[in-house]
Amino acid sequence: MKNSTLIKGTAAIAVGAALLLGGGGTLAAWNDQATAAPGNIVSGDLKVGLNSAPGVWTDRAGIDITSKIKDGSYLVVPGDLLTFKQDLDVTLTGAKMAANITASGANATNGFVGDSVIVSAPVLTVGADAVPNPLTTSKKVTATITFEFKSGTKDRVDVNKTYNFNNVEFILSQVLPAGA
Amino acid sequence: MRTKRRLQAAALIAVAVVLGLFTVQGTYALWSAAAPASPGTVTAASFDTTMTAVNSGQATTMTLSNGTAASLTLSPAGILGPGTSGYGGVAVTNNTNAGGQFNTAITASQPTIANVNGGSLASYISVNAKSAASSTECSTATGFAPISSTGLVSPTVVKGASTVFCFQISLDSAAPASVKGQAVTIQTTLTARQLCGVPSGC
Repeated sequence: MKNSTLIKGTAAIAVGAALLLGGGGTLAAWNDQATAAPGNIVSGDLKVGLNSAPGVWTDRAGIDITSKIKDGSYLVVPGDLLTFKQDLDVTLTGAKMAANITASGANATNGFVGDSVIVSAPVLTVGADAVPNPLTTSKKVTATITFEFKSGTKDRVDVNKTYNFNNVEFILSQVLPAGA
Repeated sequence: MRTKRRLQAAALIAVAVVLGLFTVQGTYALWSAAAPASPGTVTAASFDTTMTAVNSGQATTMTLSNGTAASLTLSPAGILGPGTSGYGGVAVTNNTNAGGQFNTAITASQPTIANVNGGSLASYISVNAKSAASSTECSTATGFAPISSTGLVSPTVVKGASTVFCFQISLDSAAPASVKGQAVTIQTTLTARQLCGVPSGC
């Protein structure tokens, strides 16, 4: 009786396998295919760097004193107003690219005491206008820093002192545009 | 039942926190770039003024290294007699190392005359002064005048240039013989002041 059951089971499996093979016959029926070319997806770019033209220091009269500042031969006195300008190349590509550019006067070492000097934070402009953050396209941005030795400085306050700007950093950070 | 609600609430909070973290971290994942610049170092100039006695050649900086004002003896030439004068002077030089324009003006204050070891000589002494371009002018008797209460102000002294103050000390012709051999100390204070030499800087 057990053998009969075993035989019946085997037969059932065999029939099932045959049906499966028979089903393979449907492969021979019509079929078709089509290819599509969705194309390449290319990423954009975000980059900020100093313009190849070096930064320029000028005095109150607009005279270029960059080389004298670099070699330490231009020594400021009360009443001096110095301006530093540095152009930055901002690269922004991407359909929905948007980024804010900011600046910070980092790690300044100030040997002046009291309030005899006024040093501005870096101001960023595009042409004559303030930076319209967020930027969406590549452009040249100008960073400006001013250093004023106040004319009201009395006696011999702050003679021979130094102000080292060290590194000023410009940061470009992507932001999500509205609706992105 | 209460435990189940607590578990549900805890699970809800955990999900909210995780979602919140994912949301915040998403902004960090956006691109960013930075560019450093080194504008350099701005250094202040010195304010050095040198005084040189015309007669002796003795020289000193107006401000000593310890920050105090220097004192310079002018040693006027000649021995005073009634109705006669002695002359002395000091050359003041603007020795700043300023990078740009740095003009100064020097002011000589009204002198004080004090008797040394008592006596009455001071009341018979008068001091006149003049500003000169050269120390040789100190030995000529012309151009001297009393110093007013506002002091005698030099012309503008540009960077590296000098000005000279000449002093004429005279003994009144009516001085009595009792003042013979007496001495006085005459003091005047020189003040160097930066002018607004920086265009539009003041």
